Amino acid sequence: MTTKTSLLKVILLGDGGVGKSSIMNRYVTNKFDAHLFHTIGVEFLNKDLEVDGHQVTLQIWDTAGQERFRSLRTPFYRGSDCCLLTFSVDDNQSFLNLGNWKKEFIYYADVKEPEKFPFVVLGNKLDVTERQVSAEEAQRWCQESGDFPYYETSAKDATNVAVAFEEAVRRVLAMDERTDHLIPTDTVKLHRKPRSATTCCS
Amino acid sequence: MAEIMPPESARCTFFFLYDGSKVKGEGDPTREGICYFYPEETPIDLQELLCGQLAGVGRCVSELSSSPVRILRMRRSKYAIRMKDDFFWALGCSEEVPTVSVCELLDQLINLFCFYNGPIRQSYQLNSQVVLAARWALYLSHLLAGTSELHHIFSCLRTIDSTNVDPLLLLKAALILQACQRCPLVLAGCILFRGRVVSTQMTPDLTMKVMVHESETHHKALKPNGPSTSSSFGGAVSSTTVFLTMSELQYLQSAPVDRELKFYSTPNKDALPKKTRLSRTLSDTPSSESEPSDPSASQSPLKVSSFSPRLSSSDNSDSVFSPAPSQSTANPLHPASPSLEPPLSNGKKTSHEAEEALDESYYHSFHSNGDGGSRIHDEGDVSALEENSSHLNGADGDAACGTVFDLRGTECGNEESYGDKASRRGNGSAEGYQAETGDLPPLSGVSDNADEAPLVPMTLYLHRVKGLVLALLVEPLFLSDTASMEEVYHSCLASLNGLEAHLRTISPGAPAAPGLSIFAHFDCIQSTLTSNLSGRPGGAPEHPFVRAISLLHSHFCNTETLQEAIIRSAGVAIYGTRSVAQETYFLQHGGSLRNSGIPNHQDSAFSLPRKARDKLLKHGVNLR
Repeated sequence: MTTKTSLLKVILLGDGGVGKSSIMNRYVTNKFDAHLFHTIGVEFLNKDLEVDGHQVTLQIWDTAGQERFRSLRTPFYRGSDCCLLTFSVDDNQSFLNLGNWKKEFIYYADVKEPEKFPFVVLGNKLDVTERQVSAEEAQRWCQESGDFPYYETSAKDATNVAVAFEEAVRRVLAMDERTDHLIPTDTVKLHRKPRSATTCCS
Repeated sequence: MAEIMPPESARCTFFFLYDGSKVKGEGDPTREGICYFYPEETPIDLQELLCGQLAGVGRCVSELSSSPVRILRMRRSKYAIRMKDDFFWALGCSEEVPTVSVCELLDQLINLFCFYNGPIRQSYQLNSQVVLAARWALYLSHLLAGTSELHHIFSCLRTIDSTNVDPLLLLKAALILQACQRCPLVLAGCILFRGRVVSTQMTPDLTMKVMVHESETHHKALKPNGPSTSSSFGGAVSSTTVFLTMSELQYLQSAPVDRELKFYSTPNKDALPKKTRLSRTLSDTPSSESEPSDPSASQSPLKVSSFSPRLSSSDNSDSVFSPAPSQSTANPLHPASPSLEPPLSNGKKTSHEAEEALDESYYHSFHSNGDGGSRIHDEGDVSALEENSSHLNGADGDAACGTVFDLRGTECGNEESYGDKASRRGNGSAEGYQAETGDLPPLSGVSDNADEAPLVPMTLYLHRVKGLVLALLVEPLFLSDTASMEEVYHSCLASLNGLEAHLRTISPGAPAAPGLSIFAHFDCIQSTLTSNLSGRPGGAPEHPFVRAISLLHSHFCNTETLQEAIIRSAGVAIYGTRSVAQETYFLQHGGSLRNSGIPNHQDSAFSLPRKARDKLLKHGVNLR
């Protein structure tokens, strides 16, 4: 049993106003603020958790969804271990834009094997009664795009938020295990930083 | 940054604090009165000689001239002097340092000390000389350290180089500060990155003071002297007790939105004997000049004036916040509090007299709307407010929360506010200071250190994320209010993390191509400096420029009506221009100056103003 704690970087992407900041805040501080301002650039919070016996520090990067903040957020895509593509179930356009977000991420994060990269899709604002995107539609898109796990969440009600992040961690760990079994190549892995338990980044 | 730095010693060859109360009798040795002497390794005989002579000369000249001495010149050096009660400060520097700069340096030093340690007499009663000596040394080294000679000339804030920073990040910083103000216990804050200001809601003076603690915690040179906080936040959060003057507090508790601000003079203002006056005759004159046209002063024993014609008072429903409760609740938090009796007693007095004073003051403020009592201070504070609003994009009114601080005596704060600067520019440095001291006695309370301006204990809260620091001035209650603290901590943590990541990744930016012109632009309101000087290697060609600025700046400060000047040698000409809000200096290389000193209308130096206007526009400096 290893006591080593890994730092995993996950990044939330999606249109402005779909609730990325709220999802992060709900997960890390278990609070919900209906009057959050637009995120400018990027923000992040750390959370320690244990998944399947692995001690993990999840570094959750929240990004600005508005187009005008693009140049501020894109430099921070690099080094992500997982990408959470987020839309709002009451906003069809945000759902249609998921493909663009995926493309933008792959481009700026410089992902080597995009088809293997772990994406997780979140349909937020489950609490809203007037849906524009059905669960089936979303499921279908996830299926077709690369068998991404799909979660319907509500940051306001705290529905499924923790589950989604834990799934993200599982995906990353599964990826790592697969690569660990491969014959070592001459690549240097930079994104998994061993982290001693005493230092605290928050 | 390769900039020309005078040796530290040029800006401060000597500094000392001398307590005259310790040396009363003929036989008392002078060394008894020396509280702190810099450089500390100076032989005690020399210390005694300097202290004895300067203090003696200072008092003598003050008596003869009937105005406090501000500066003493001795052969190749000069000394900024400040006297308060029995205390005597002197800061010596070499001759070429502008007089305004050395006076400002001394004021900053003293104000810094009082900010972190409270009133001077009281802090020497509470702490050992050794402890306080270390603090003087710390503040002195902080003020002398770093940055460029230009920064020292203007005593300006060190800010991040905004030319390389996306303005959206400055907005982000401002929004973080506003978010913190949603907690009513938070007065104002600033965000610093690697010792430089990113965004601030405070006056430049206050920001400068706060920055000392930031660098102190950064270097871990000294433990914070206040109750250090909650381990639940890890090592990221710390706090310390600080002391605000009434005018600072009033500024913080006034929000741009809420201009329903009232200003009450203390009822006993005219009744109290003016103790610190050195003379009963002439020295009174400038001080009354500093509060021009105040008819009520002679007519009514209860001198009341509306704080500003613009800040008219009409809303009687505003609650009056008295410092007394928060101070008494602060007691358990701050061990030092019991000894704060003097300011406390003053505060209590305020609270029980406030009621009766209030009714009348509303009445009076209605009827003295045009009277513009203490106009100089008006100007200062209005501009300060405007600066604040521009900075914050109309920050919310949470800071004020509709409360009105009982501000009697605020004008008397000895802080170097804009008003004071204005008065100094207007009246010449000696009189400016005169006006300040002239204002001091009225607020003197009732106790032995009656001459100290009341300082209100507040808490400075620091949240550090690597090189980034959020510094908040909060009510002392804040530290005991776990819910508020957690709220503030968690509401800004993610944003601070993000801002730090953004600022860290900003490359310093390629140094501007060495153009043909160099300029320096000083914003007097925000106390910031913009220049294309920094980042250049060498510095030799800039030295004349800096010297010329030093000279011109002195002239601008001494001559209120002077707006433009050209200073030249055979090889180079430098143009300087100033307005109420800024000072700008410009030098153009190349193009031989067709002149050797005789006035000539074809002199290319005369085209400098036009060139400056053209060239500086692209740097965002508009001289038109």
